Amino acid sequence: MKREQIMNAALKLFAKNGFYTTTIPDIAKKLNMSVGNIYNYFKSKDILAQEIIKYISSYLGEKLKKINLEKISTKEKTKKIVKIYFQTAKNQPEMIDYFLRVYLSNREVFKGGCEGMICINEFMVEIMIYFEEGVRAGELKDQDFFSAFGLFMGYLGGMVFLKGEGILPSDLDYYIEDISDNIYKALSK
Amino acid sequence: MIKLIEKIEGEASLDFHFKDEVIEFVDINFFSTRGIEDILKQRSVFDALVINPRVCGICGHAHLIATVKAIEDCYDGLFISEKAKIIRELTLNFEIIQNHFKWFYLTIMPLMGFKQYLLKATVPSSIAAKAIATIAGQYPHTSYAIAGGVTSDPVYSDLVKIENYLNEIMNFFKKNVVDIDFEKFTNCEDVNSIFRHRGDLLDVLLKILENGWEKVGKSYDRFLVLGENSYFMSGKSLKTILRENIYLNKIAESENQNSYAKNVTYNKRYYEVGPLSRAMIKKTPLVKATHRRYADSVFSRILARVCEIPQLLNHSLKLIKRIDLGEPSYIKPPLEIGSLSAEGTGVVEAARGSLVHKVFVKEGVIKDYRIITPTQWNLSNGTRDKPAPAQKAMMGLRSTSLAELVFKSFDVCSVCTTH
Amino acid sequence: MKTKLLWLSSLTCNGNAHSFLNYHELSLFLDNFEFIYHPIIDSSYTLDDIAKKDIECDILLIEGAISKELKKGDISVIDMIKKYAKKAYRIVTVGTCASFGGMFKNKGEGLHFLQERELEEFRYFKDKTVSVSGCPVHPEVLADTLYMIKRGYDIKLDKFLRPKEFFSYTVHNGCTRNEYFEYKIDNHNYGEKEGCLFYDHGCQAPYTNGSCNKILWNEVNSKTRAGLACFGCTQPQFPKENLFFTKKNMGIPQYLPLGVAKRVYLTLAGISKTFKIERLEKKLFDD
Repeated sequence: MKREQIMNAALKLFAKNGFYTTTIPDIAKKLNMSVGNIYNYFKSKDILAQEIIKYISSYLGEKLKKINLEKISTKEKTKKIVKIYFQTAKNQPEMIDYFLRVYLSNREVFKGGCEGMICINEFMVEIMIYFEEGVRAGELKDQDFFSAFGLFMGYLGGMVFLKGEGILPSDLDYYIEDISDNIYKALSK
Repeated sequence: MIKLIEKIEGEASLDFHFKDEVIEFVDINFFSTRGIEDILKQRSVFDALVINPRVCGICGHAHLIATVKAIEDCYDGLFISEKAKIIRELTLNFEIIQNHFKWFYLTIMPLMGFKQYLLKATVPSSIAAKAIATIAGQYPHTSYAIAGGVTSDPVYSDLVKIENYLNEIMNFFKKNVVDIDFEKFTNCEDVNSIFRHRGDLLDVLLKILENGWEKVGKSYDRFLVLGENSYFMSGKSLKTILRENIYLNKIAESENQNSYAKNVTYNKRYYEVGPLSRAMIKKTPLVKATHRRYADSVFSRILARVCEIPQLLNHSLKLIKRIDLGEPSYIKPPLEIGSLSAEGTGVVEAARGSLVHKVFVKEGVIKDYRIITPTQWNLSNGTRDKPAPAQKAMMGLRSTSLAELVFKSFDVCSVCTTH
Repeated sequence: MKTKLLWLSSLTCNGNAHSFLNYHELSLFLDNFEFIYHPIIDSSYTLDDIAKKDIECDILLIEGAISKELKKGDISVIDMIKKYAKKAYRIVTVGTCASFGGMFKNKGEGLHFLQERELEEFRYFKDKTVSVSGCPVHPEVLADTLYMIKRGYDIKLDKFLRPKEFFSYTVHNGCTRNEYFEYKIDNHNYGEKEGCLFYDHGCQAPYTNGSCNKILWNEVNSKTRAGLACFGCTQPQFPKENLFFTKKNMGIPQYLPLGVAKRVYLTLAGISKTFKIERLEKKLFDD
């Protein structure tokens, strides 16, 4: 699992220090590997960055898929999604950090090979399914996808960002109930 | 005495009342309704474009065009291109043509004692159907005419194919129906000159004269044409006295107890609709001349209907030349369908006569829909004192089979009538 | 020996009968088959004969939604159906009304199905029946099916009794607008050769069973090629509502291509939408 080890180490460094500040030698040093060896697995830093975002998308996508497949109401699904997002932010903060601070903020790194949303496809598909099934069940209001998406993800991302900056007084767990409630009320019919 | 009449796009029964061996009155009854006007209620208004062709399998296209016109009438400031207008008129012409061929060969010739030449009906009809399908996708049952124009985007090779289909039908007509020159035929003013020609039409007309049937089938001699396009003119006439102004609000429908078909009058009077009426209003020379001699008998009615084939073929070829493919096929209506609340009326000339559709829309949903078909005009079920055109035409005859001939000379469409 | 066909009309517009008259080899057909009754063309017997007598019949063809109340004069249509369904060795429901109730399901039913629900009434005839649905039926599909029956071919049927040869295809197969569907060029405007009608304009072709774009209509065209949506007329649910619009939930089409899972569709659509194919963004040919 050398590949995964490299990605995990790189992920933590990119998330903590930023994309451009982190170098391949930095990553190699953290793993006690040679730089040449790293390049055996990933041809460039950009490609490594792209593989990492795909990995994160797959990880979160898998968790969301489990929630989507459960036979529960959209209201309950909403809370579970918020919970997963905040749990990941708490237990694997580098994942959400990477998403916000590397992926969203350095679009030029992802241009060749991660155009549009193809590298976060698995994650996006599950969000789409959550919305689509919610509308179909008559619980959510039918509207433009991006309006709803922006509300949901922008809200969650924003909260995690504030936590990261040390502005939120309490643990993310504390906010799950109210935030889920707000999101559901805003999106529901 | 009740006679079941079949193969009239469905069935009907004629209840003959005899007095002294002469038909004193005939009750016309149609057996069932499919409730199309009810099916339409509460549906999105555009759904009518899919449902209404299913009123009828042989003249469904006329229903489509009447529907789209009724819907477009609901908008303020909706425009369709000249190209879309012409294309719609063409496909409707092609439907009319196949109707007349089928009626002549499947219904009239056998009634005259000839064989039923099935292929003579189906061959030209399937070519006409191909011509429609070339622009509209398929025939029967297309919904290609939508509010704002038509859905297809024809190219020159489509027009070329259609011109060729029309020429094929023209050749067929010349070879089988009557060997005329297309330009001269309908412009000729001497009925007798027809008899210099050969063809199945002549065989039929001669049969009529042989049997003295040119005196039979006369009705009110009152004609009505509600629809207008680049060929047909609207108007009404009593014999040849023509009035051009038609007011749709003078049309009234009424239920009648024994039949699923409603009666319809204009200004409280019964009128005949169909090719004879169209020719009388337009003053087509040959039909005018025929009428001078034979009034509104079966002779005139049959001649007028068959006569429409060459006229429409000719006119269609001219229309094709007027198409400018550069124009848009479709212009988006000015209003979103959900905001549409209005009443609209669409009137077209279908094969058998004038067809009226009226739609009441509220926020894009059909609240009510009314359809009045040509067969309702001709075959209303009137009373002894006030019989409808076909009833009047049958009264005074001695034989029910002759009455059946008169009845069918109106070209009956049972499914349309009861819709 | 001509196979004897009895064409019985119930609650119908006669569209199937007229569609069949467009069949391109009618002459040869009539060398092989005889209509003991037909609602439009000459037949060996009248409706009265068929009702009152016991006429020999090989295949019973039913067109139109079947209503228990329907009478033609004093003739009960359902009695005729019961009588000849027993006599005939095969039954063919012609068109969507006779197969599923179709357009007139408010007043009648299909022979064995009302939409998707199986009916009890004629269950014992189910083994004899073949359904060629469509509104109207495609003349070639009907003719070929009758020939297959006549010549004793083992016709494989789907769960709605439709011959798989024709109904395993989707109407989407063969549409000239496929490239726009493949690469998710959703910008369709009416009256144009370009564009796919699936995303906005209600096209049901990707999930409708039929061969319209394989066999073509009137030998020349199809609705979708002419810029009009497929309205799903061969299917049990025909006609649905809001036929000119695609039902979407938060921008995602509610009905997806036949057999394609939602996640698969969304993943492929997502990827396709990311890339622009220049050729397909332009007009097919410029003026």
